Amino acid sequence: MFGLPLTTTLLVFGFPLAWVIYTAVFFYRSRSWPRDETDAD
Amino acid sequence: MEPTVLVFLVLYYVVVVAIGVWAARKGASNSLEGFLLGGRKVGPLVTALTLQATAMSGFMFLGAGSEGYRMGYWALWYAAGDIGGGVVNLSVIGRRMRRLSKILGSLSSIEYLEHRYPSPATRLVAGTLTIFFLFFYVLAQFIAGGKGMALVTGMPYWLALLIAVGIIMLYTFLGGYFAVAYTDLFQSLVMLVGILWIFGACLVHLGGFSAANEAIQRIDPTYLSVWGKGLVKQDHWGEISGAVLIFSIGYMGWPHVVTRQMAMTHPATARTAAVYSTLWNLCFVSAPYLVGIFAIVILPDLDDAELSILRVADTLLPPAITGLVVAAIMAAIMSTADSILLQTGTIASRDLYQRFLEPNATDRQMVWVSRLLVIAIAVVGYLVALFRPPGVFSVVIFTTSVLGSAFLPCYVCAVWWKRANTPGAIASMLGGALTAFVWQVAGVDVATALHPMLVGVLASSALMVVVSLLTQRVAPLPERVLAAVEAARSIH
Repeated sequence: MFGLPLTTTLLVFGFPLAWVIYTAVFFYRSRSWPRDETDAD
Repeated sequence: MEPTVLVFLVLYYVVVVAIGVWAARKGASNSLEGFLLGGRKVGPLVTALTLQATAMSGFMFLGAGSEGYRMGYWALWYAAGDIGGGVVNLSVIGRRMRRLSKILGSLSSIEYLEHRYPSPATRLVAGTLTIFFLFFYVLAQFIAGGKGMALVTGMPYWLALLIAVGIIMLYTFLGGYFAVAYTDLFQSLVMLVGILWIFGACLVHLGGFSAANEAIQRIDPTYLSVWGKGLVKQDHWGEISGAVLIFSIGYMGWPHVVTRQMAMTHPATARTAAVYSTLWNLCFVSAPYLVGIFAIVILPDLDDAELSILRVADTLLPPAITGLVVAAIMAAIMSTADSILLQTGTIASRDLYQRFLEPNATDRQMVWVSRLLVIAIAVVGYLVALFRPPGVFSVVIFTTSVLGSAFLPCYVCAVWWKRANTPGAIASMLGGALTAFVWQVAGVDVATALHPMLVGVLASSALMVVVSLLTQRVAPLPERVLAAVEAARSIH
């Protein structure tokens, strides 16, 4: 794809995609954080 | 020198200083918490972008472009980890570190370590290591600034360096953390616009991404490989994993970066900040490496690879836009250098001077001591930068490898492992720093094809676990620290 070998394509596009998924999962799993705030915070 | 380039540069400096002055008024710099942490009132957008702008130094415009130009797509291994650096940092230690630092009353990332791992030795070791290695990091920024400005403006190197250092000192001096954070916000946007503009210009010039890669293939197909030019890195997984780790988990060991967690408005600020961080990284991080790779086709006979992005900008863009790119480069350099100067000033004044020499110093005195030390560090850095030590890429990789190796287990275990104790932390800091340092200086990394960051983090992590477990009985954590850690961990 884009004139690149498959491994290079995975490096260029695969890692960013993995970080997007990581961020989305983190954002979903931390949805209760604002409710957990205490006065001390 | 093109007048339009000068206009953009002057405009950029004026805006940066204006933001610094505004932030100085807003940030209540007469209180130490206001000066050092912005009164812990920094929201998610500013947290994310100051974190990213601080982490992305002049390295991105000089070092990253240079590595892309020399090695081709292999350089993208660094970007692969870097894109996730912010979200890893904020999701793993962000919320808990903010809460624990508030409970313990810590105002600097080194003071936080002493509060968590109680002993004067903790602060002495951490402070000394940090100042020593951050000095080299800021030195790399000065060199990058001087080289970049000298090339584009035609000024002598000493004068370009003097202007860059002077501006950095001015706004760090004015407003402390608030000035640094808000100028970082502005600078991160300038960096983004600058690099995307030149990236787009490259694609237009080369006829698109596929055409660019085909042109590179005609020069040398190994540039397109993940193993580097000439396949010299083939199967060097120890080096590749280090390249990915250094800017992904590595952030968590950089004292000048983790301070951002401590300054957040709320612990939960980390959640939204992580999203902003990833979005910004997706747009920014790979572009400097790719521009360096495209320069292989655009400027095949460059004598200094570190100037590849600047030379491409000079070749492809009209003077006004070149001015914007130069401003972006200065933004990357200055947004890191100001944070380091503030951090080293803080460590030297509060963590070493007040802690060991003048315990009764008032908040106001400490602010001024910190400011004077910022000047001293900048002046010494300027003088050393005139001698032009090694390239920006090697200095930054060396410094960040040692810092990450020294501090990563300490910051992570501080909030995730109650049994991490003082002897474990000190052994981890010293062992990790020494391993990464010797590994690189003695050339063991070349002989073994194992990245110093990888070996250093493995050593410091092993030392933290083994020494902490062996010394649980002789060096237990005080009850108040255990209670604070428990309170920080009790959030789910």
